[in-house]
Amino acid sequence: MQAVAPECARQRSVEVIENVRIARDTYRMRLLAPEIARAIRPGQFLMIRPTRPGTTDPFFGRPFALYDTILGASGKPEAVDLVYLVIGRGTASLADRMAGDRLEVWGPLGNGFGPPPEDGGPVTFVAGGIGQTPFLALGRWWLGSRGYGDPPEHWSGARAGSAELLYGVRTAELAAGVEDFREAGIAVTLATDDGSAGHHGFVTEVLEDRLRKGRRPAKLVGCGPPAMLGALARIAEREGIPCDVSLENQMACGFGACFSCVVPMRQADGSVDLRRVCVEGPIVPAAEVAWPIGDGH
Amino acid sequence: MVAMRVRLGRLELENPVLVASGTFGYVREMAGFVPLARLGGVIPKTVTAKPRAGNPTPRTVETASGLLNAIGLDNDGIEHFRAHHLPYLRSVGTKVIANIAGEDEDQFVRMAADLGEEPGLAAVELNLSCPNVSHGLDLGVDPAAVGRVVSRCRQECPHPIIAKLTPNVTSVATVAKAAHEAGADAVSLINTVVGLVVDWRRRRPILANDIGGLSGPAIKPIALRMVWQVHRAVPGLPIIGIGGICSSDDAMEFLVAGASAIQVGTATFADPTLAGRMVDELPAKLAEAGVSDVNAFIGTLRSNKD
Ligand SMILES: Cc1cc2nc3c(=O)[nH]c(=O)nc-3n(C[C@H](O)[C@H](O)[C@H](O)COP(=O)(O)OP(=O)(O)OC[C@H]3O[C@@H](n4cnc5c(N)ncnc54)[C@H](O)[C@@H]3O)c2cc1C
Ligand SMILES: Cc1cc2nc3c(=O)[nH]c(=O)nc-3n(C[C@H](O)[C@H](O)[C@H](O)COP(=O)(O)O)c2cc1C
Ligand code: FES
Repeated sequence: MQAVAPECARQRSVEVIENVRIARDTYRMRLLAPEIARAIRPGQFLMIRPTRPGTTDPFFGRPFALYDTILGASGKPEAVDLVYLVIGRGTASLADRMAGDRLEVWGPLGNGFGPPPEDGGPVTFVAGGIGQTPFLALGRWWLGSRGYGDPPEHWSGARAGSAELLYGVRTAELAAGVEDFREAGIAVTLATDDGSAGHHGFVTEVLEDRLRKGRRPAKLVGCGPPAMLGALARIAEREGIPCDVSLENQMACGFGACFSCVVPMRQADGSVDLRRVCVEGPIVPAAEVAWPIGDGH
Repeated sequence: MVAMRVRLGRLELENPVLVASGTFGYVREMAGFVPLARLGGVIPKTVTAKPRAGNPTPRTVETASGLLNAIGLDNDGIEHFRAHHLPYLRSVGTKVIANIAGEDEDQFVRMAADLGEEPGLAAVELNLSCPNVSHGLDLGVDPAAVGRVVSRCRQECPHPIIAKLTPNVTSVATVAKAAHEAGADAVSLINTVVGLVVDWRRRRPILANDIGGLSGPAIKPIALRMVWQVHRAVPGLPIIGIGGICSSDDAMEFLVAGASAIQVGTATFADPTLAGRMVDELPAKLAEAGVSDVNAFIGTLRSNKD
């Protein structure tokens, strides 16, 4: 893992084009930000400052993964979509913003996902909570229907044969953007804690069931609560399936300056060292994380 | 044109805008946001004699207009700093002030001596005040100990010495006086204010370290008060003002209260381009104050009681 200095990241004031509710407590915000939209890649994130105008609260930016980029009339990316769940002061402040409001943002930040498996095999995304957000753009890229930013080094141009999303939420009303995934050609299977839709139970149980039936992906990618990611990492290790995870840690800056966002990572020499998720992640190989990790907050 | 050059003991700066240790990473993280060469100087994260993992997470939590942190001086140690960070820091084109913390007096002195051998350093700032690592009492709360460390570091290290003081004392002026008499080129005021954030439902503090240091706009009045107090109590001691500075207006408040330079700290996390913008904005603010030289403005705050 090489630390990525956010040299291309800039702080900008951008316009909110749209801020619409798409599920319970969940909103999609569209920001007019052509430079960011042209540079950002799946798995990277933006920091958005939710500070209420004329005040110093909430003070710090909040990290949000790229959901998708929106093409302008010229066919070039012009806007960035984020999907967020209201859980506290910062996200509540964002939910109050309307079209025409301006927000301070900086990014793209973080390393982003690597290329799909070389053999063109199927890929499975495993999401919990609001962890589905990075997988729309990733699915589009890996399936070959869209490009994002500059193609990464060492990408042969390989595509995934198919992509599916196993998506766990507490209750059906919280499932957000399911149609977006299906339209992008990503099959979606839901799991809910209360049985209100899909499988009644953990999303990792859906994966286990698939594996028992011999449906084995060439690659697993996870995003969600640390306990879910830890369970996913164990399955991936047992099955010998390559697995990356997108870590959601508490962040104050997003660009490597504050050392808030560290997670324990296994180093090449076998030792464990605390590493900054915002610059060395958020995408890391599941096998390199020293599980279990706390939820950082 | 407003003259912006300031002098703090043996340390001269092109302008009074510095960035605070621990809030600007190792500086390379900030290259995309701030025109580094235009700053008065940069101060990378504190280095210690040996590598330190720092505290477990959560290490930070947002408070009302502030941040409570217990990072715990996570760093790779002075050897790594000299080999890996200093070569980069020398190339950024501005004054570089290294910041060190020892577990005891001898460690401070040894590290200052080591850095004394390094070319391209403008000064060494002694972090006498980190609330997150002390085993028992902070060295920085004891005026006699502060005096001893400063004078020994001065003997062993040719670079200007800045003593960064803790606000967590009854009389910051007494500690500042001890640093001055021991030969400190300047004092930095303030480090973070010890605090606690609680989750009553879980009946637990939020930070893994339980307590932490408060920073950001919430502490600005405390910092301003301390700068002014020290300015009045210890004439001739240059002061670097730190604490909740979020705008060039905030910086002006510290300058008028007696700071010869300022450090942008926590605000960088939420407004990463701030320090660079401040360099651009300060001359106009000083012109508005009717001065053509920043030095004619520094420390000119008058008491309502005089
Ligand atoms: C790389 C990255 C990408 C992310 N992408 C998205 C996304 O696409 N959509 C989305 O809704 N959220 C995303 N998050 C999480 C999002 O940043 C947090 O939900 C948000 O910061 C909470 O802010 P708040 O002020 O509303 O909550 P706070 O008031 O700060 O906290 C409310 C509660 O949430 C907890 N919390 C704080 N920070 C986080 C966090 N980072 N993750 C989970 N819980 C947290 C707090 O401890 C507290 O219990 C992402 C996080 C990271 C690190
Ligand atoms: C996350 C964080 C880490 C810090 N780390 C250091 C440090 O390593 N060394 C140090 O001398 N001060 C450290 N400080 C203190 C700051 O340099 C500064 O003195 C303090 O935060 C007050 O200024 P502010 O309110 O502008 O942040 C740290 C502060 C924060 C918020
Ligand atoms: S969020 Fe500040 S270092 Fe990662």
